[in-house]
Amino acid sequence: MTLADDALLVQGVTTRAGSFELGPIDLDVASGRVLSILGPSGAGKTMLLETIAGFRAAVAGSIRLFGRELGQLPPESRAVGFVFQDAALFPHLSVRKNVGFALRARGERSHERVDELLGRFAITHLAERSPRSLSGGERQRVALARALAARPELLLLDEPLSALDRPTRDDLRTVLQELLCGLGIPAIHVTHDRDEALEIGDQVAVVVAGQVRQMASSDEIVAKPEDDTCARLLGWSELGVGSLDRDILVLGDLAVPTSDSLDRWNGPVSVFYRPEAVLLGADAVGSRGPTHFRATVDRVLPTTPLARVTLGGRPALTVLLLPRDLGRLGLRAGITVDVELPPDSLRVFRPTGA
Amino acid sequence: MTDSRATAERSGVAGGGPTDMMVRAGARRAWPSGVFQALLWLASGLLIAFIVLPLVRLAATSSPSSLISAAREAEVRDAVLLSLQDAAITAAIATVLGVPLAYLLAQRRIPAPGLVQAIVDLPLAVPHTVAGIALLFLLGRTGWVGAPAGHLGVSFYGSQWGIVAAMLFVSAPFAVNSARVAFEAIDPNLERAARSLGATRAHAFRRVTLPLGARGVLTGAVLVYARSIAEFGAVVIIAYYPVTAPVEIYNLFLRSGLAAASAASVLLLIVALATFLVLRTLASGSWLWIADRDPR
Repeated sequence: MTLADDALLVQGVTTRAGSFELGPIDLDVASGRVLSILGPSGAGKTMLLETIAGFRAAVAGSIRLFGRELGQLPPESRAVGFVFQDAALFPHLSVRKNVGFALRARGERSHERVDELLGRFAITHLAERSPRSLSGGERQRVALARALAARPELLLLDEPLSALDRPTRDDLRTVLQELLCGLGIPAIHVTHDRDEALEIGDQVAVVVAGQVRQMASSDEIVAKPEDDTCARLLGWSELGVGSLDRDILVLGDLAVPTSDSLDRWNGPVSVFYRPEAVLLGADAVGSRGPTHFRATVDRVLPTTPLARVTLGGRPALTVLLLPRDLGRLGLRAGITVDVELPPDSLRVFRPTGA
Repeated sequence: MTDSRATAERSGVAGGGPTDMMVRAGARRAWPSGVFQALLWLASGLLIAFIVLPLVRLAATSSPSSLISAAREAEVRDAVLLSLQDAAITAAIATVLGVPLAYLLAQRRIPAPGLVQAIVDLPLAVPHTVAGIALLFLLGRTGWVGAPAGHLGVSFYGSQWGIVAAMLFVSAPFAVNSARVAFEAIDPNLERAARSLGATRAHAFRRVTLPLGARGVLTGAVLVYARSIAEFGAVVIIAYYPVTAPVEIYNLFLRSGLAAASAASVLLLIVALATFLVLRTLASGSWLWIADRDPR
């Protein structure tokens, strides 16, 4: 990606709040693309958005939006839309007036624009209602409509779905995806929810303790997390501490060749696996490779959408699979089954601090 | 087997701990809950009675006819009207000057906010006669402000301006604190949302923060008004004349005794309470006898 393609270019941005320091952060987002920032609470994700929006001053670095330097501009001059976690609707104004707030602030009176946005987010019937009377999902639709009314050149979304119940969240996630696809402006979406980040973001950046740990496309970041923290955030489970000796990983009774060479690191390593990639029973019988072993089923939990099977032995592991496979493979507590860990479902990392 | 016995013994030993704690907790719970409830209600009732009884006793001393004759006396009537008028002027000034300070304090955008807040609260701690004397030094004919103001033809000593100045000094904290608490209760993201939608700081304040804090601002104004009508100590020192209602009542009491002062007192009480209740109802948006929140 060349410089000219980057609608948003964040370089070396550093912000402080008390003893917490965020950055230096480097990011770039092209027009029509969405960057999802994934991280645990307290990582500085919201602080980064607040800095880009101008609610918080950066102590260093530059933020360029379509070539304009935003650093010294007040929030109202940045053309950056912000959708807050709790929607932050103006409680004393009706839905219509909330959506029309930006137009009114500029002295425009465009009923058509407000009507169009109300229609687009399917909230026309709520136009005269007070925000206090709306459900969480309705509030976020109003917040999106309100942010777009200002015709922003960048949209920032701070955990817009995290306060919603599951069906509403799934619903709004689709709305959000379609919206962001068609907007033609860059967007940054912050979340602590892995699925949300992967579903909405074209690119995902993992932010931990004020630093970007890894930034890559959704597919790549899930397949190849670069450290144990990223792996955990992206759904990898820890298998235990093994040892690496010239590309041979030893963990419990397993000794497998690994492609994760870790720059010729020899010694203890943290081993992670993808719990949904493990094959069990009849599915694992075909293979007799080094990652094949037999283990006893400790527990079978028929949770949805994926059921959970815990296996005893060395190493102990939890496997996720479709509930219908429980019956097909005849899995139940107490039986001994074949287990296959596909090589690309294993990752090894140097222990934290090494 | 050995293991399980050892575990049982350990838990037996440990069991002494929780049992002890339960005994101790039991000993602490010496008061039946009914006694606690009774004490709560008794203490609250005593305080309410202490506030209400003197006023009821005062009201009982006067008849409608004595009130009418008191209202017909020009001195009493003028004093009550002057008090109402100056209290209203004070409430307006305190609000206009207090709201900006309240906003800065609520936003913590002021240097040394703790010190500024302490200064705002200072009048609550200064005895009112002391406040009157301090104001007289500042606003009197030779004072720092009084002397130049005198050249412009404005006199504080013995004038309505002096009365308003005294009222403002003692009641300003109510305007600032009430508005500050209201502004602090507003989600800071609302103002940020307004800014991100293109509103300048002033526009965001006018369209979002002020309307949302309006009730607190109005409540502050009402409290300033009520406190100003009641003010005696500071007013009597800086402006004995023109005579406000509390000063007139004090004069009546000194000149003609308790009985003569009572009719004017009840009159002032009725006028002050009536205006206070009306304004308070307008400010809070709910009637006095209706709970605005559910029990917790």
